[in-house]
Amino acid sequence: MTDPSSIQRREFLQKLAVAGATTMAMGAPRAMANEEVEHPEPTADSCILLWMGGGMAAPDTFDPKLYTPFEVGMPVEKMVSTFPAIDTVVDDIKICEGLENVASVMDRATLIRSAVQPDLGSILHSRHQYHWHTGYVPPQTVACPHLGSWMARVLGPLNPVIPPFINIGQRLEGVGEKEELKAFTTAGFFGSEYGPMNLPFPNEAAKSVMPPEGMTGGRFANRDRLLRRLVDRSPQRDFLSDYHQRSMMRSMDNAYKLLSSPERAAFDLTQEPKESLEKYDTGRFGQGCLLARRLVESGARFVEVTTEYVPFLHWDTHANGHETLARMHQEIDQPIAQLIRDLESRKLLDRTLVIIASEFSRDAIIEGRPGSSASDQATHKVDKVGEMKHYGLHRHFTGGTSVVMFGGGVKSGFLYGKTADERPLVAVENPVTIGDLHATIMTAMGISPKTGFDIEGRPFYVTQDGTGKAVKEIFGA
Amino acid sequence: MTYDMTRMGLVWLSQLLTVAVCSAIDFDHEVVPILRTHCGKCHSGVDAKGGFSLNTRELFLESGVAEPGEASESHFLDLIRSDDAELQMPPPNLPRVPADEQAVLVRWVDAGMPWTAGFSFAGATYTPPLLPRTVKLDSASDANPVDQLLQQYFAANQLTPPDPIDDAMFLRRASLDLVGLLPTPDQLKEFLADSRPDKRERLVDSLLDRNVDYAEHWLTFWNDLLRNDYTGTGFITGGRKQISGWLYRALVDNKPFDQFTQELIAPPSDASRGFIDGIKWRGTVSAGQTNEIQFAQSVAQSFLGINLKCASCHDSFIDRWKLSEAYSLAAIYAQQPLEIHRCDKPIGAQAKAGWLFPELGDVDPNAPRDVRLKQLASLVTHRNNGRYTRTIVNRFWGQLMGRGLVHPLDAMHTEPWNADLLDFLGEYLVETGYDLKAVIRLIATSEAYGYRAEQLQDDPSNETQYAFRGRRSKRMTAEQFIDAVWQLTGQAPAEFDAPVLRGASDTDAPSISLDGQWIWGASAKDGQAPPAGERLVFRHVIKLSGPVATAVAVVTADNDFELYLGRRRVASSSNWMQPQTVALAPHLKPGDNEVVIIAGNGGNSPNLAGLYFEARIETKQGQALQIASDESWQYSDKLPRGNREGRLGQIRGPWESVVALGRPAVYGRVDAFVQRGLSMGGSSAMVRASLVKSDFLMRSLGRPNRDQIVTSRPSELTTLEAIDLSNGQTLASTLKAGAGRWADPERSTRSVCQELFAFALSRKPSEDELTVIEEIFGDQMSAESVEDLLWTLCMMPEFMMVR
Repeated sequence: MTDPSSIQRREFLQKLAVAGATTMAMGAPRAMANEEVEHPEPTADSCILLWMGGGMAAPDTFDPKLYTPFEVGMPVEKMVSTFPAIDTVVDDIKICEGLENVASVMDRATLIRSAVQPDLGSILHSRHQYHWHTGYVPPQTVACPHLGSWMARVLGPLNPVIPPFINIGQRLEGVGEKEELKAFTTAGFFGSEYGPMNLPFPNEAAKSVMPPEGMTGGRFANRDRLLRRLVDRSPQRDFLSDYHQRSMMRSMDNAYKLLSSPERAAFDLTQEPKESLEKYDTGRFGQGCLLARRLVESGARFVEVTTEYVPFLHWDTHANGHETLARMHQEIDQPIAQLIRDLESRKLLDRTLVIIASEFSRDAIIEGRPGSSASDQATHKVDKVGEMKHYGLHRHFTGGTSVVMFGGGVKSGFLYGKTADERPLVAVENPVTIGDLHATIMTAMGISPKTGFDIEGRPFYVTQDGTGKAVKEIFGA
Repeated sequence: MTYDMTRMGLVWLSQLLTVAVCSAIDFDHEVVPILRTHCGKCHSGVDAKGGFSLNTRELFLESGVAEPGEASESHFLDLIRSDDAELQMPPPNLPRVPADEQAVLVRWVDAGMPWTAGFSFAGATYTPPLLPRTVKLDSASDANPVDQLLQQYFAANQLTPPDPIDDAMFLRRASLDLVGLLPTPDQLKEFLADSRPDKRERLVDSLLDRNVDYAEHWLTFWNDLLRNDYTGTGFITGGRKQISGWLYRALVDNKPFDQFTQELIAPPSDASRGFIDGIKWRGTVSAGQTNEIQFAQSVAQSFLGINLKCASCHDSFIDRWKLSEAYSLAAIYAQQPLEIHRCDKPIGAQAKAGWLFPELGDVDPNAPRDVRLKQLASLVTHRNNGRYTRTIVNRFWGQLMGRGLVHPLDAMHTEPWNADLLDFLGEYLVETGYDLKAVIRLIATSEAYGYRAEQLQDDPSNETQYAFRGRRSKRMTAEQFIDAVWQLTGQAPAEFDAPVLRGASDTDAPSISLDGQWIWGASAKDGQAPPAGERLVFRHVIKLSGPVATAVAVVTADNDFELYLGRRRVASSSNWMQPQTVALAPHLKPGDNEVVIIAGNGGNSPNLAGLYFEARIETKQGQALQIASDESWQYSDKLPRGNREGRLGQIRGPWESVVALGRPAVYGRVDAFVQRGLSMGGSSAMVRASLVKSDFLMRSLGRPNRDQIVTSRPSELTTLEAIDLSNGQTLASTLKAGAGRWADPERSTRSVCQELFAFALSRKPSEDELTVIEEIFGDQMSAESVEDLLWTLCMMPEFMMVR
């Protein structure tokens, strides 16, 4: 006797094989053989990563500790938080002054205060950012894909004309450590089909999906028509493989579709009503949040928006930490809150996972984590805070970091994990590693943390060695 | 709303696909160990107790004990589960298969019993030979050995040899493969008009003789293979060194490959040290990526086609290499005792220096490092190391024929589809004194190289069987594409990033005699020192009787200069000790050409100043000109007004004769540079994409971050690339600027098309194509129309493929 369910299953797999072959250009990396396992039901279709590049100090943002205002000559030990705590709409959650708008939407959020990173000997932004974005500590023997590329590769686009991985706000040329940034802003071994569409300037994003500057729509269409007609008529047609011609023309066709589609309006911030634009427009990051909202509305799969990593700027405070963070608060507070409200009012928040994260936290005294042998990279090493520029958290801290998640199936107004109340501010409850954090994000997106591909004969998984475990506790109503 | 439908459809689809690719059962790592441990003793290799062998999936299924997709129907699982001592497997005297492992087998069967292609429990069915092998050819035949061996192959496999391609296609193929450039319309005309029977061979020779063009094309391949680049991770902290200067020269001089390899593995100087030193990352690095292990991985992959990445962490599951062997190789490089780590954990043993094929001899672990490296270099290039020669000739076959004799290129333990051919080419390399160009020549002058390319219907990455049916077309590399666009538009940059001295070999260059004099204005009269900060404008007219074939100039000025031709800035520099080599051809036209150079003196007080210019020009009629700065040049101290965006403003004179300074001894130090630059006279002299840092467009077109070794470039055009090609500013502005060169109110659309098609596609436009183009653009083409046509031609698969 044959079990009917297994026949259904076989048919199912056959259909699957057809779907796979036609919809995904299976490149060199071969998916590992199939296995019948419980696969996570996705709780989110889209993901927005709000990246606080440079090391966002948790004690000055989402994990307030003892606040001591600036005083000339104050001992460094007293500098734990440099901003006072404020209430949020959730009773037991307090965050830092300056984030009042975010405080008003914390009832839609899960706040993880116990994210941890490894101590890599020398606490470098480049290596920790690589680790955070790919799940693998550099260097690696193969080029690792960005987590957006994993989603692009495994899930594909949500709306076929919107590229599945869009990267907003980070310049990859003309900034320090640009090569280090490029090393993880890539699809790596998946090949560039799954790589990022880079939009460093949100207010110029429209250009990326429009015909080249100075070209009218009519001329653009003509050019495309000419290409098709010449390809059809080429006497060399038969000398070229059908396969190559088909696949090249399919890509050209996809490009043309995007560049002439109605969805490309999503890239154009000038089409946003003025009052709405103003709610976001605190600068490039704010504009990026607005762009992310518009893209997700149009069916983007993964969007990263960064405050931009530039060595010694923004969150990368090696001096003047307090004053710089006051500006950073201003830059992110209103747009993030507005993004959450807008997604909610458009009924998209339930299916969109929004994440606020950074490569590590900061502390006034400890570099790395307690006991680390990492060399201290603070530019001003003082026992007493003599000037305002010394007031702030100027060391890189990997022992306890905050990550905020909204929507996409995570609990509302929920607090997970805890750091010590006194220095060292290490995670003392439910530490969440990068592998586990990735597993959580991927699980929300319906991707098993064990998803693997065969790369050069070796298995390569979305979380290192397939070992990442999703933090189940944060899912649910 | 149509969009919602799509969205729902895709959500559904994405869920299916998720199941398809996720949560793999991993045959190699999960299933094989279980079967091997519990069943292998009696049922694998030569043992097939009870008539059951699990060597291959086919044998496994033939036994009838397994039903893919249906664990409940698979009898072998019943036997494994059984408590009955009569029935149960393994037999009662052996340990049971633990429940979790049983579950793995059930899942595996239910998943359809996936099996790694080619895997056998009998052990590798193919063991690659290490020793070289002489392949006997028919001594009576004077056919190219490649063809002789392929004829045997075709006969044995009942295959028909593909048809040959025509001359025009051959020219384009050979030119792009050997020097990376499109043949110019003139070269095409000349080649088609040539009626000599051996013209293809002559072409291959003449291409390979273009030492500079050859080097600047193959630089891309070698930079990928040796992970050398001009920018990238590691440089910022000084953790990485370039080998660019050494590599460039090695390619121009066609350094014998054995010597080339030895200089990389045991560097005689710092110039070639970057390869073995790898990339030093700051902070702690996993044991599998220390510089010592990087060394082992790089040497094994680049020169032996061995992937040691698995064995750097644990004994490899997919080939014969063991952790201890990877560490032994690494220990040759190590300066300190090297502790073996398995999966990042020390195992309490020190690695002993040794190499991968001790049957050829070994390094002395007690010798100092320099000696060990030299010993390794000798072993890698050992006369009896057939793996070394096979690996490189296989890579070259892959470059020229689109797919290796062994595939993939970095899995040299795989059986070649034609062992005779592989072994023959390996020995040919040795017999020619490790002459890589000779190997290229042999392949490119075979009939097989001139076969029509294979017609593929499906994605070749899914193929399980391969037979040679002609060369496999490749997509242009990013560098080839950009070079071709620069050729068509004349928009190559004036400067480049690679720290190399462009030009011919060390032996050719010094024979070039220099004719020019250093010149300056009146302030330099009678040996006076011109004032600091003085800026002068110099001019000279070059008269040409006809169109230019090749033209190169070398310019330098103490302290800085800007060179203008046709009122456009084409070169500039502020380092007088590094003269600039400039490709003049795109900027010269028949008749008078005014060369304008603005030069400035630096410093804080009066000091020696001078300008030097020398050019070699050949016209298409064969007129050879040598132009050099001398007393016939003129200068003015009235600087041009309104220079803008690289365009020369108004210059008015009055003009005076320059003061000729002769050849001051202090400037003699740049003579060698000038000679080297002028030695490029016969080449295109165009700055090549391979010499320029990767930019956004090149990255998009598949130029890799060279953090890892890369041995093949993508063959697919992706959607994101297509977007960049359709609207990216870099390409758009290059085409726009270049269109001006072709748009000409005097010329008909047909005439422009004839020339553009000849250059871009190496063929004439068909009547049908001309009709379509005329329908859209009319009889005459504006610059805008030319720009659109240029874009269209560059986007055609016919253009992007090296057919």
